[in-house]
Amino acid sequence: MRFRVVVASRPAEMRARGVAVWLLAGVAGSLSVARPARAYETEIDASIATQYYTLSSPWGDPQVRRRRYTETLGLAVWNIQGEDDPRGPRLSFQSRVRLDADFGQSSAERQLRDPHYIPGLQESPLDLMYAYLEGQRYLGGQLGFRLGRQYVFDTLGFWSFDGGLLTLSTPANIVFEAYAGFEQRGGGMPTFGTRRFESQGVYRGDRTGYEATYYPLFLDESRLAPAAGLAVEASGFGFLHSRLSYRKVINRDEVNVSPFLDAGAGQYFLSGNRTSSERVGYSLRADSASVGALNGSVVYDFYNQIFSEYAANANAYLSSRVTAGVSFERYTPTFDGDSIFNWFAHSPTTSALGRADVRFSRRLQATLSGGVRWFETEGLSSSYASSPDVNRIGRLYDLSIDAGGRYDYGRGSLALRGGGESGQRGHRWGGDVTGRRRFGPRYDGMCVLSLWDWSDALRPDRDATSLGYVLGAGFTPGPNFFARSRLGFELEHEMNRLVGQRFRAMLTLDLTVLK
Amino acid sequence: MKSRVDLLLLLTLLSAFLAWCGGSRALAGDKPLVATGALFDSGDVPDALRPPGAFKGDEGPSPVVFPAQAMPLRFNHKRHVKELGMSCTTCHDAARTSQKSADLLLPPATRCDGCHGTNHRVLSAVTTDEPRPLGQCSFCHTGYDPERPNVVERVLLPKPNLRFNHQKHVTIARVPCARCHGQVEELKLATRDQLPRMKECVSCHVLGSTETASASAPLGAKSIGARGRLKASGACSTCHLSEANGLLTTTFGSGKLLPPPWLHDSGHGSDFIERHKTVAGDDSKFCANCHQERFCVSCHDGNVRPRRIHPNDFLSQHPIAARENNPRCTSCHQQQSFCLTCHQRAGITMSGPIGNFANRGRFHPPKSVWTDGPRTAAHHAWEAERNLNACVSCHQERDCATCHATRGVGGPGPNIGGTGQGINPHPVGFGSRCQQALRQNARPCLTCHTPSDPELLKCR
Repeated sequence: MRFRVVVASRPAEMRARGVAVWLLAGVAGSLSVARPARAYETEIDASIATQYYTLSSPWGDPQVRRRRYTETLGLAVWNIQGEDDPRGPRLSFQSRVRLDADFGQSSAERQLRDPHYIPGLQESPLDLMYAYLEGQRYLGGQLGFRLGRQYVFDTLGFWSFDGGLLTLSTPANIVFEAYAGFEQRGGGMPTFGTRRFESQGVYRGDRTGYEATYYPLFLDESRLAPAAGLAVEASGFGFLHSRLSYRKVINRDEVNVSPFLDAGAGQYFLSGNRTSSERVGYSLRADSASVGALNGSVVYDFYNQIFSEYAANANAYLSSRVTAGVSFERYTPTFDGDSIFNWFAHSPTTSALGRADVRFSRRLQATLSGGVRWFETEGLSSSYASSPDVNRIGRLYDLSIDAGGRYDYGRGSLALRGGGESGQRGHRWGGDVTGRRRFGPRYDGMCVLSLWDWSDALRPDRDATSLGYVLGAGFTPGPNFFARSRLGFELEHEMNRLVGQRFRAMLTLDLTVLK
Repeated sequence: MKSRVDLLLLLTLLSAFLAWCGGSRALAGDKPLVATGALFDSGDVPDALRPPGAFKGDEGPSPVVFPAQAMPLRFNHKRHVKELGMSCTTCHDAARTSQKSADLLLPPATRCDGCHGTNHRVLSAVTTDEPRPLGQCSFCHTGYDPERPNVVERVLLPKPNLRFNHQKHVTIARVPCARCHGQVEELKLATRDQLPRMKECVSCHVLGSTETASASAPLGAKSIGARGRLKASGACSTCHLSEANGLLTTTFGSGKLLPPPWLHDSGHGSDFIERHKTVAGDDSKFCANCHQERFCVSCHDGNVRPRRIHPNDFLSQHPIAARENNPRCTSCHQQQSFCLTCHQRAGITMSGPIGNFANRGRFHPPKSVWTDGPRTAAHHAWEAERNLNACVSCHQERDCATCHATRGVGGPGPNIGGTGQGINPHPVGFGSRCQQALRQNARPCLTCHTPSDPELLKCR
């Protein structure tokens, strides 16, 4: 780790990397050297959504106009290896790219040094959501791999990286997994990434053209962030499944540590490898089809040196129609290793809930859950001013209820959802009822009616009751060319005293082609 | 007046909506078809006679897998098997060789002719020489009308939506018929209710088992497990139909295929959207049997709003929802990019474009209680401790460092309002953790402390 001080502004160095190009070239190369495919199937799908709505600040100005155009394109090739043997090797390629444009932005918001400038704001960012080559069941079913931008789902969260993943399955029903690459990040990365998968607490991006003192906390993102992980999974025992996973991500950018313009000696920069996150998680499920299920998970954060999450659930299958259960979860927010927020006193949020799921018939089903969630503090807020004692734990409790039901009838469904949470700091109660119905094979309709009420003890002037509805309609053309297609329209109308009337109009088009 | 109009509008919509839903009728094709003539009605068959895995009152096997049937027949299995001494394969001999679930395993009507004295070889001209009742059409065909001779209601047995190889189970694995179909020999007509239940299937097909043992064996070959028993594949697609992409087919004319509640606690009830992280977090490969990643990312990418998570008018109510931590925003959103960018555009952040601050009022309670000492119950420190995520969706580090950084580093500087005030924000027990934290990443330390700060040196 190196530390240096500069007084002058630092010119941003953004060397474009051809990672995306190399990745796509690699995939194309793999496809070209694959055996002549006789049975591969190509799937192309597109989803287009346009939506118009406007929101304003609590003081009326400025207004934020959203004129969004979101287009998602997917390409997948299955069975690249040729004949599909259900127990033989299998090679496939999957990719997805999304354009999420907002034409409601003012150009001033993207004009460097304009008083309205928003760092990192882009009008039409392109996001390569995933693109990977996947092999399964190689070496007698023991070996699998993925190469490219991909996701990892486990108790450590929903995460994405660019790199390779290797899976080794053993006859003893133990699966080993190892992966390495670079965390998917946004900003100046040349690989069309999103910031969605970065750790919380910091904002990184392309600082090309920025002086060091201009938005110093919009951190430079010019270097790839190496990441690696291991997992061991026990599956195939029927009643038992567990997964132990470990992951570490490294920050390598030269990063500004000076949040202020004229903080003493000038601007400080830090470079070298630094921990972004390092965590290990374990999850376990034990279940019996006739008794019930137990689930548990725990995450330890090495950087923060705390158990950041742990949870336990128990569900009993009381009969074929009734399931009842309890759950407990304790969650402490953690942030990127570069963030100061890790080291601010903050406490876990703890939830204890009970639930019942009743299936009255194949068409009618309902669930009810409720419980308590509490928030902790170091010291009692009520008496701290007169007798400060950080070793006493203060707690605030919120009560929560969630109810849902669904009735399916011949041509559609009727769903009800209601509930909310209430405590000393305010409440949020309400519900909505959603009806969907088909009109023949081509047309469908949707209607949502909602009523919500909330109060905020910290901002009493923001209490409100909201009435709203959504009307939607869809048209499904015949399957002559598209395997799946639908053209839809939705109009959302909300009414509350804070915003008056707010409308959101949305047009969607979904298409899928199989070849 | 305006609110009355709104209320009237909503009530009108509500009335229309309820009328719309209430006036709907089921499709004629959705009406369940029931078999008739059972010794026990399908709901009355004693549990002991039903297939293993059947629940009391389970409404039979899944109508998605086994679509509704029509069997307008009268038949007595008990008499044929127990009194006349026939075996199952006397009539259902095709079960020994059938390799597809679509194969019709009911005996042809000619199989009845030998005993019943009928002749079904030409179905358009069925004849009988038998004067006894058992030779009459109405003896077996319910609803037979003598006024319309040679006309009977059709037996309707839709193709099951699954893969099944009777030959492997009957001939190779020697699974007795009752293991899947229950005690049919005690019944008259066997209805849909006697078809197998998945719960029993998985007693041999252990779900999720790795396929290494069976992968090398060709289909149809015996695979022997560790205890010398036949090993059945645990892959879902062993029995369920699948697409070219390897995922299970979940949409059928008879409905949507969903996991039963007892299957790894994954019942897709109304609250599954809140519970799914438990299932997916532990075993995402289980979910991947039916879902592509694009399904997950359609919500978790944080760009497209799912109504089930964010109901109507969530824009207005999201501040209180975020502070209640329900739903957990970080499941789909990166606060300092997704949340902060929008908050900066709306001019509600403390640090941000000054051009958006012109009309700004105070967002939080008055400074005298929110930030100034003494630390009363309304002080911001308590809210930060309770749910720091909510703070981070609006505030950047400099907002906090203004007061919490040590003198000489933080604050807007001597020309504007002074340097950091050194108010310690660290939690209890921080001293025991700071050394390792500093070693792994010094950046947060150096944001608030100068390198020569004695407080920082304690952690070196």
